[in-house]
Amino acid sequence: MEALAISLVNAVPQLAAVPLWVVTLLLMVVVAAVILVFALTFEGVGSLVLRKVAGDIQARIGPNRVGPNGMLQFLADGVKLVLKEDLIPANADRLLFKLAPYFAFVGSFAAFVVVPFGVGLIAADLNIGIYYVMAVTSLVVIGVLLAGWSSNNKWALLGGMRAAAQIVSYEIPVGMALIPAVLIAGSLSLQDIVRSQGGLLGIFGWNLFHNPFTFFSFFLYFTAAQAETNQTPFDLPEAESELVSGYNVEYSGIRFGLFFLSEFGDMFIVAALLTACFLGGWNIPFFNAATLPWIWGNLLSLGVFLTKAFTMVLIMMWVRWTLPRLRVDQLMRMSWKYLVPLTFVNLLGVSLWLLVFQGKGIPGMIASLFG
Amino acid sequence: MGLKAYMNDIVEAVVTTAKGMRITARYGVDPKEEVTLQYPEERWEIPEGYRGFLHNDIKTCTACTMCVRVCPIDCISLESVRGADKKMVLASYDINIGRCMYCGLCVEVCPPKSLKHTSGYEMASVARGELTLHFIAEDAAEIKARVARQVAEAAAKEAEAKAAAEASKPAGVEPKPAKEEEKKPE
Repeated sequence: MEALAISLVNAVPQLAAVPLWVVTLLLMVVVAAVILVFALTFEGVGSLVLRKVAGDIQARIGPNRVGPNGMLQFLADGVKLVLKEDLIPANADRLLFKLAPYFAFVGSFAAFVVVPFGVGLIAADLNIGIYYVMAVTSLVVIGVLLAGWSSNNKWALLGGMRAAAQIVSYEIPVGMALIPAVLIAGSLSLQDIVRSQGGLLGIFGWNLFHNPFTFFSFFLYFTAAQAETNQTPFDLPEAESELVSGYNVEYSGIRFGLFFLSEFGDMFIVAALLTACFLGGWNIPFFNAATLPWIWGNLLSLGVFLTKAFTMVLIMMWVRWTLPRLRVDQLMRMSWKYLVPLTFVNLLGVSLWLLVFQGKGIPGMIASLFG
Repeated sequence: MGLKAYMNDIVEAVVTTAKGMRITARYGVDPKEEVTLQYPEERWEIPEGYRGFLHNDIKTCTACTMCVRVCPIDCISLESVRGADKKMVLASYDINIGRCMYCGLCVEVCPPKSLKHTSGYEMASVARGELTLHFIAEDAAEIKARVARQVAEAAAKEAEAKAAAEASKPAGVEPKPAKEEEKKPE
């Protein structure tokens, strides 16, 4: 960010009088605002698309009253959430109750910082990108657990406990399923991971097709991430039919809205990680976006990235409306007996593959056969 | 659990998920599968013999009170007076449709077939007591007063006619028919 500030000062001489840290700070605020606007827009439109997809899949119509074909439904929902009274139960732990939604929202929003939207479009290209995402999305667990505990409600508490158990269990397969991408790129930075999938192989340069193990780890990550973000086959923390609404049962108004936003934010983060780590990120097949002029390269790569990410979001919604909810014991068995061993075997397989074939994938080997 | 069963579990999970997703995709892609009816704009076709709101054609109603007597929950109330032409005149005919259970007994029993089920089923009010169908717009007291006036007029006319007849008739005729006529306009 400071490098960007220096280049800005160089480009606009009038800014030289302002201290550099002020320019940097302003830039940070602007970038944060841009990402926040993107995140909120995605979350709003995402909720509408989710309901429309649900309607289509369940042979219904879905929201169609507000605006043309229900397009403005999310605005109406947002206004409603903001205007609603912010209730706090009489026996709730007031401080924790008020704090919990912010933990959940910050946990999901902070992960947007390292999402590689384009060639140069990344808020902060941390060299520990994936590690940072894994760490910061764990804040959501704290928020959910706090919400469940502080509501002083049996359903909320059960939901919060389930969420904690579930997210902690699934953190392991999520991490292990992402490591193959890290191994191939040799870096934790998401930009480096995306760049490692570029080159002349087109879509066969993607980690998805690198070797059979990475192909499996894509699906393992998809499954585990679906669970980590409390999506429907694994939405035990919410479980409308048994826990009413789980950890957020006592929330209303904007605080409920924050939980809601964090859920959709998590959804995008998972889709973005899937895209960046397995589907080539912003790479355009057979084409190097970095050679274009800055603005066109970034716009094109942003479009490619968002197309892939939104496709993944759609597939997640599709799964969400297809599968019935698991039982708690089934959920735990799935994590500890199936996903954890499978991801470890997978990780071992990728490591051995990279060791034996000197880091080359199947498409790379085929390509080298033909020169 | 052996390794074979373990692998079978995984394969089964993948296969059944794919199967389910194919089904939901078919529903998601095909818009003809939508079964939602957009209620205020679209409505179901009302089947023949549908028992909706009751409607009384007060022109043919004879105020026989059969419907009132047969109604198991007493939701029909009726007031009537005898008119100048000796027929019953309805002063009010109300059906508390909020209480009606649409059993149809009143329609079955109606001798002139003036009470019918319509196909209507939409009504709303903010209080339960307001869900009442009034079939006579005029005030019941007014109708009673008017009928009483008509009856009185008719009686007066008859009395006049009788007086005229008596005056024109020669004396010594039996008084019996005159008595009968006097009785009639009760």
